[in-house]
Amino acid sequence: MHELKIAEDLSVIVLDTALDNNLSKVTKVNVIFGQMIQIVPDIFEFAFREIVRNSIAGDAEINIEILPVKMKCTTCGSAFQVKENRFACNICSSTDLGIIQGKELFIKSIEGE
Amino acid sequence: MKNILDRNQNKANEIRNLLILKKILMVNIISSPGAGKTTLLERTCDALGAKFRIGVIEGDITTDRDAQRLKKYNIPIVVINTEGGCHLDSNSISKVLDCFDLDNLDVLFVENVGNLICPSQFDLGETFKLAIVSTTEGDDKPGKYPMLFREAIAVLLNKIDLIPYTNFNFESFNSDLIKINSQIPLFQISCTRGDGLTDWYKWIADQIIFSQL
Repeated sequence: MHELKIAEDLSVIVLDTALDNNLSKVTKVNVIFGQMIQIVPDIFEFAFREIVRNSIAGDAEINIEILPVKMKCTTCGSAFQVKENRFACNICSSTDLGIIQGKELFIKSIEGE
Repeated sequence: MKNILDRNQNKANEIRNLLILKKILMVNIISSPGAGKTTLLERTCDALGAKFRIGVIEGDITTDRDAQRLKKYNIPIVVINTEGGCHLDSNSISKVLDCFDLDNLDVLFVENVGNLICPSQFDLGETFKLAIVSTTEGDDKPGKYPMLFREAIAVLLNKIDLIPYTNFNFESFNSDLIKINSQIPLFQISCTRGDGLTDWYKWIADQIIFSQL
């Protein structure tokens, strides 16, 4: 249910941005979530729609892109995608890793008229 | 590109800076409902209450029952009722920090709302997150909730005295945990019987002292 709180914060950014840019209608909202955030897209979209229902973003299409988890091995330097929760380098098996991607909670763009 | 949780993150950064300035360790305790967060705090207050100045923020969906259980320790406790919300956020923590005398506090335990997903996504400005799981929940928690076990700095496996009465498979639990976070310290404890708690007290005392350096 963290989807609700994130959708609330997103709605504030969307409506503020629309106001700043003199939009009368928001037509599309593009967001990016890392896989580790464990967002369920259907729940997120439902929450967002409920929050913005009677606003200028009420009919906006919401486009959710989910990014897989990628790590970089600090021992051998190789980058790899984490599969089946295995947080170890697939080349040298080191578990000394830095995250490259997977915890994003970004608003990419807003479209409107 | 803008972070959707910027507001939460900015407030969390403010809290973290304040706590560093005041040399206070803040522990964000995350578990399922009933895993033993409050019992762990009771045992920890018993063991370390004379040595360290402890404060507690109790995150509860409703009621102040957990806080009532800790009243006997005469420590500052503030309850945050989330009124249905499934996690605490940095704004709610920021609002109650004024209730504590931060010049007279060594450690602030935050008992988050019982939930394994949502609380792990929200930075409260804590020094670190601590995960508690209990054997009665099953051995699949690390595999199902990897974010928490990546984010936490240590894991407490509670209710090990009940393993004979459950189908909890420690090897399976441990292998999932190591796959996700191979370096993470694991404390196998029973808060009711006392197993493993001495190691926990020593570890958390070291963390408190480290924050004061």
